[in-house]
Amino acid sequence: MTFKKSPIVSMGLLLGVVSGLIVVASCGGGSSSSSTTTPPPPTGNNSVDVEVNLGPTDDYVNGLFTSVQVCAPGSTTNCVTVPDVLVDTGSSGLRLLSGALGGLSLPAVTDSSGNDVQECVQFISLAYIWGPVAQADIHLSGETASSAAIHIISESPQYAVPASCLTLGTGGVDDNSVSALGANGILGVANYAQDCVLPGCNQASNEVPQYYVCPSGNCQFATFSSSGIVTNPVSLFSQDNNGVLISLPTIPAAGQLTASGLLIFGIGTQSNNALGSATIYAVDANSYFTTTYNGTEYSNSFIDSGSNALAVLDHNTLGINDCADAPGFYCPGSTLNFNVTNSGINGTSGAVSFSIENFDNLFDNTGFAALNDVGGDSGTSTSTDYFDFGVPFFFGRNVFVGIAGKGVPNGVSAPYGYWAY
Amino acid sequence: MILTLAAAPAAAVLGEYESSVSLDQQYMRGEDRVTTSQGYKLHQMTSPNGLVVSEYVSPEGKVFAVSWRGPFIPNLQQLLGSYTTQVQQAAQAQTRRRGGPLVVRTSDFVFVNGGHMRSFHGSAYVPSLLPKDVSPEVVR
Repeated sequence: MTFKKSPIVSMGLLLGVVSGLIVVASCGGGSSSSSTTTPPPPTGNNSVDVEVNLGPTDDYVNGLFTSVQVCAPGSTTNCVTVPDVLVDTGSSGLRLLSGALGGLSLPAVTDSSGNDVQECVQFISLAYIWGPVAQADIHLSGETASSAAIHIISESPQYAVPASCLTLGTGGVDDNSVSALGANGILGVANYAQDCVLPGCNQASNEVPQYYVCPSGNCQFATFSSSGIVTNPVSLFSQDNNGVLISLPTIPAAGQLTASGLLIFGIGTQSNNALGSATIYAVDANSYFTTTYNGTEYSNSFIDSGSNALAVLDHNTLGINDCADAPGFYCPGSTLNFNVTNSGINGTSGAVSFSIENFDNLFDNTGFAALNDVGGDSGTSTSTDYFDFGVPFFFGRNVFVGIAGKGVPNGVSAPYGYWAY
Repeated sequence: MILTLAAAPAAAVLGEYESSVSLDQQYMRGEDRVTTSQGYKLHQMTSPNGLVVSEYVSPEGKVFAVSWRGPFIPNLQQLLGSYTTQVQQAAQAQTRRRGGPLVVRTSDFVFVNGGHMRSFHGSAYVPSLLPKDVSPEVVR
C-alpha cells in the first residue's frame, strides 16, 4: 500500500501557530492495521508496554518498540494508534511516518506568514528524515501531551529535502519509509525537551539546517514560535512529566527472540517510578557524561535506547574486525569483557561491566532480536572514541531518564538532566 | 605558538591545498582563528549557530584533516571533497547497525561521525598526508 499527502487545507488561525491542515490520506483503498479510530484510554495509568523485537521489517536487532496514539487536538474520536514506534532516549519528540497515520488530519505548524514548517532531522549514521511539523494530542497510557508539535516523516514529501540538510549531497541515506527506518516512527524521550538548541534554532537568521518553510516551493530557514518546535512529549504531560523509567528484563548471553518491558512516565511521582537506590548521573550541557576505561576518560558518553549496539572504542584500537556482512558491528574471535566507570557532573560514579560477543554468531545463527552483548565502533582512535550504552545496557536494569529543567529528586544538581540506574 | 585572527575565513577541503577553496568561508560565516602548532597549522571556524569546524594544514599546504562539532552535522560534501563517495558508500552499506556512528577506515581515509541529536561531532583525515611526527590523535 502506498500513501500520499493531499493538499493543505486552510482552516484559519488556531493556537497562534496553526493555520492549515496536514491531511495524510491513503490512496488505493483499504485500511492498515494502524489506522484504527479509537478513543484515548482512560486516565490514571502511567506506563506503556514496550518490547524488543524484530520490528515491522522483521530484521531489526535490539529495536525497542511501543504503540502511540495520536489524535487531532482536542478530539477523542479522530485518532489513530501507531504500533512499532521506536523508543529513543537519544532524541526528543514524536516522529511518525505519514503512511502510519492512515488518513488522520492534523493541523500544521506554520510560520507567521502561514507557511507550513518542515523539518529535516539528521542521524549520526548520516541518514535523514524529512517532512512537515503538525500538532497532535499524544496519548501514552493515561498521559496526554496536548497540542504537541510532532514530525511527520513523509513517504511522498511535498518538497524536496533542502541541499543544506543533505550532508552527503544526493548520496545520503533517505530514511523516509518503513523499510529504511525499520519502524513506523520514533518516540524521543531524551533528557532534554526540545529537539534543537534554543535560543535561536527556530530563527531563520541562525541558519540551523533543521527547520524550514518552502514558500513557492523554495525551502528556506524558518522563523516560528518555539511552541512549534518538536518536543519530548513527556515534558508536556500535566503530571509525571519529569522523565521516564525504562525497565527491561534480564536475558541470557545467547540472546532471546523478544523481550518485554515497561516504559513508565515520571520519576518519583508514583509508587511505580521511585528512584530507590539508583545512582543519579547528571549530564553536561551536551547531554554527555564521562566513561573511564583503563585510566582514559571518554567525555562524550551517553545512554541511548535508540542505539542497537554498545558503542565501545573502535575496532582498530581493539585489534578486532567489524563483521563483513554487518558493518559497524564487532565480530571478535573471542568474547571481550569490559569494566568501565561512569561519572556524572554531579560527582557520582559507578562501575559497569559488560561483554561483547561475535554479532554474526549471535544473530545470524538465531535471528534473536534481543541481544545484550553486541557492540560496535564509536570512533576511530582514542581522541574520537566514546561509549554509547545502547539497548544491550538496558536489559536487566531500571534506567531513569531525567529531563533538564524538570527538577531532580533528592535535591541533586542536574541542570542539563540526568540518567539514573 | 602563533595566533592570528583573520576577518575572512579561507580554508580548503580535505586533501586539497589550503588556498584552493573559499566555500567554507561562505558556509561558516564565522571568524577564522588560525593557530600554528608543532608540525601543522590549524584553522578553526566558529559559526554564529554554534558549529565549530577545524581544518588541519600540513607544512606543504595541504589539508590533511578536518573535524566538526556542534548542534547539527555540517555539509560534509563540502568538507570532504573527493572523499565524500567513500562515506556515501559506507552510509548505504551500514544497514544492520542502527542509531550508531558511521566509521570508515581504509588505508588512506579515516572518518567518523558520532554523538546524538543536538550535539554532533566527527572528523576525517588522510593518513598519507599526515605531516612527519604528527599523530592522528591531534585530530579531534
